[in-house]
Amino acid sequence: MRAENYEARNHPPSNEFEINFGPNHPGIEGNYALKVKVHGDEIVAARADGGYLHRGFEKLMEQRLWIQNIALVPRICVPDPAPMEVAYSMAVEQLCGLEVPQRAQWLRVLLLELSRLAAHLFTFGGHAATTGMYTPMFWGVADRDLLLDLFEELTGGRVYSIYNIPGGVRRDIPDDFLTRLSDTLDYIDSRLPDYDNLLFTNQVFVRRARDAGPVSQAQALDWGVTGPNLRATGLAFDVRRDDPYLVYDELEFDIPTEQPGDAWARTLVRRGELLQSIRILRQVIDRLPDIGGPIRAPIPNPLAWNVPAGEAYVRIESSKGELSWYVVSDGGDKPYRVHIRGPSSMHAVQVLEHLVTGCRIEDVAQIMFSLDACPPEVDR
Amino acid sequence: MTDTEQFPVRVEQPDRNGGNIFSRVFDELTAFCRSRSLFILHYCTGCGAIELPPAMTSRFDMERLGISPMVSPRQADILLITGYVSVKTLKRVMLTYEQMGSPKYVIGICSCTVNGGMYWQSYATAKKLNDYMPVDLYIAGCMPRPEAVITGLRQLMDKIAAGEANGWEDYYRRYDYYLGHQQRLFGETWQTPTDVIAEARHYGLFGPETLGDHTRLLEQHQAPLEALEMQLGLGAPDEVKA
Ligand code: SF4
Repeated sequence: MRAENYEARNHPPSNEFEINFGPNHPGIEGNYALKVKVHGDEIVAARADGGYLHRGFEKLMEQRLWIQNIALVPRICVPDPAPMEVAYSMAVEQLCGLEVPQRAQWLRVLLLELSRLAAHLFTFGGHAATTGMYTPMFWGVADRDLLLDLFEELTGGRVYSIYNIPGGVRRDIPDDFLTRLSDTLDYIDSRLPDYDNLLFTNQVFVRRARDAGPVSQAQALDWGVTGPNLRATGLAFDVRRDDPYLVYDELEFDIPTEQPGDAWARTLVRRGELLQSIRILRQVIDRLPDIGGPIRAPIPNPLAWNVPAGEAYVRIESSKGELSWYVVSDGGDKPYRVHIRGPSSMHAVQVLEHLVTGCRIEDVAQIMFSLDACPPEVDR
Repeated sequence: MTDTEQFPVRVEQPDRNGGNIFSRVFDELTAFCRSRSLFILHYCTGCGAIELPPAMTSRFDMERLGISPMVSPRQADILLITGYVSVKTLKRVMLTYEQMGSPKYVIGICSCTVNGGMYWQSYATAKKLNDYMPVDLYIAGCMPRPEAVITGLRQLMDKIAAGEANGWEDYYRRYDYYLGHQQRLFGETWQTPTDVIAEARHYGLFGPETLGDHTRLLEQHQAPLEALEMQLGLGAPDEVKA
C-alpha cells in the first residue's frame, strides 16, 4: 500500500456508510454486486451493479450459424441451462415451420423437468447457506449431482447438455435409462422428509425467512415478476399450463401457490414445484416407452442452412420464471437479431433493489437467493 | 509460437542445493506445509464456478486435501479464476490479486481463461488471463469436471511442494509487461492502490524488467487516491421505496 493512502481524512459520519456487496462476496449469487448504503445495519438505499458477466450474447449470436448458436445459448443461464436450448430451438422451428416429432417433445419435457429439479435443489442449498445452515447446502448439491449423472448419461455433459437442436433432440435415451431415472426420483422423494426436518420446518430458517423481502401481488405484476416468485404472491400463473408448449397439455400437474410473497413463501413454492416435477417425470417414464417414431425432423445441411425470413417469439417456463426469445431472420444463415427476455433481469435489478431497501444487512444475501436470480442471465 | 511466448510465466528454479543445510531443510519443510494447507479465494468470474460447489461439498470433497474456501483475499493463497473474465471483472480481479499476500497462486479454470474459449470474438471479455497476471496452472475444459478441478489442485500442491509454483515472483520481476497489457485494456490512467514496485524491492525481486515504459506512464498519472465519496445520494428511504 502506498503511504499516502493511509493519511487521515475527513470521513462521513461512521454510522452511515456505503458497502459494495459483491462482486467478490460469499453472500452474493455469482458475479454480481449490490451497492448498499447502510445506516447502522439497516439498508437505506441500494443500487444493483451488474455487467460483470456481460459477454454480448445477442451480438455474438448474430455472427454464428444457426446451428453453432446451439452451443452458445446454454451459457446464458448456468444453473438452469436446458430451457435456453429448448426455447432457442423452438424459435428456429417456428421460423422454418418444422414439426417436432412426438418422441422428441417428450424427451424435451424430460430434460426440462430434470433441469428444474436440479436448479431447485441448488437454490435450496444456496438459500440455506445464506442463513448460516450449511448442511442443506451439502445435501442439496450432492443430490443434485445424482441428477447431473443422469444428464451426463443422456446427453454427454454434466451441466451444459446441448441436447436439443432445431427439429428435435440429438439422441435417444440409453438402455434402462428410465429405470435409473425412476430410482433417482425415488431416492430424492425419500430425502424430502429429511429436507423438511433440516430446512422447511427448521425454526432457525423459518423465522429468518418469514417476512423477509415481501412482495405483494400488485407489485409483482407491476415489476414483471414471474415464475415461482409470482406464484408466491398467490397468483397461479404458469406458462406450462396457461400457454402450453411441447406436450405439457397432456400432463397432469398442479401449480403450487403460497400467500404472503416473502422469502419463506418463495421457498415453499419451490418445494412444491419439486414434487410436481417429480410427478411430471413419473408420467414421462410411464408414457415414453409407448411413443415411438423418430427423435428429430430432417433439417437441411446445417452448415449452409438459410432459415426463412421472419420473426419468432417463444416463451417457456424456466425454473426462474418466464423465459422468452424473440428471433428475427432475414433469410440468411445467421440470425439477424436475437433478444432474450430472461426472468432474472427483473428479479435481480429493480425487485432486488426495492426489497433490500429497509431490510437489515444480514438479510440481503437471503433475499437475493430467495428470488433465485441468475446473474449470467441478467448480464448476458 | 514457442512455449515461452504463449505462456510467458518464467519459473525461476530455486537453488535447492545451495545454502546451508538448515535453510535447505527449512525451505523444503515450508514448501511442504504450504502445499498441505491452501485457502482458495474463488472469484466466480464465469460459468465454471458452477462446478465448484460439487467439488467442495460431500461428493468430491476438496477439504480432504486440505483445501478450503476463504472469503477474504488477504488470507487466501489461491486465486481461482472460474471462467471468462469480462473487462469490468478483470479490474476487480487485478485489485484482488494485488491485495493477496505472497506467496500466491493463480489457477485459471475453463478454456475461456486460456484463450477466450467460446467468447473469442466477444467485445466484452479479456482473452488470455496470463497477459494480465502470472497463471500457475490452467485447467482446460468447457467446463472442467470436478474431478479435473481436484486433479488440477493436486498438481498445484505437487508444484508448491517442489518449489516450482513461483508465478507470483514473475509479477514483480516483470511488472512492466503485465502493466502494459492492463493499460492497453483499461486505458493509460489505470492504477491500483498497491505499490507493486515498492513491494518488489521489499521482496528482493526487483529486476531489470520491473520498470519500463509502462511504469513510467503509470508514474505520470499516479495520484493519491481520492477519499471515496458516497455515491448513492438517493434521498430518504421512504422516497426510494415509493
Ligand atoms: S470455458 Fe465454457 S464453461 Fe468455462 S467459462 Fe468459458 S464458456 Fe463457460
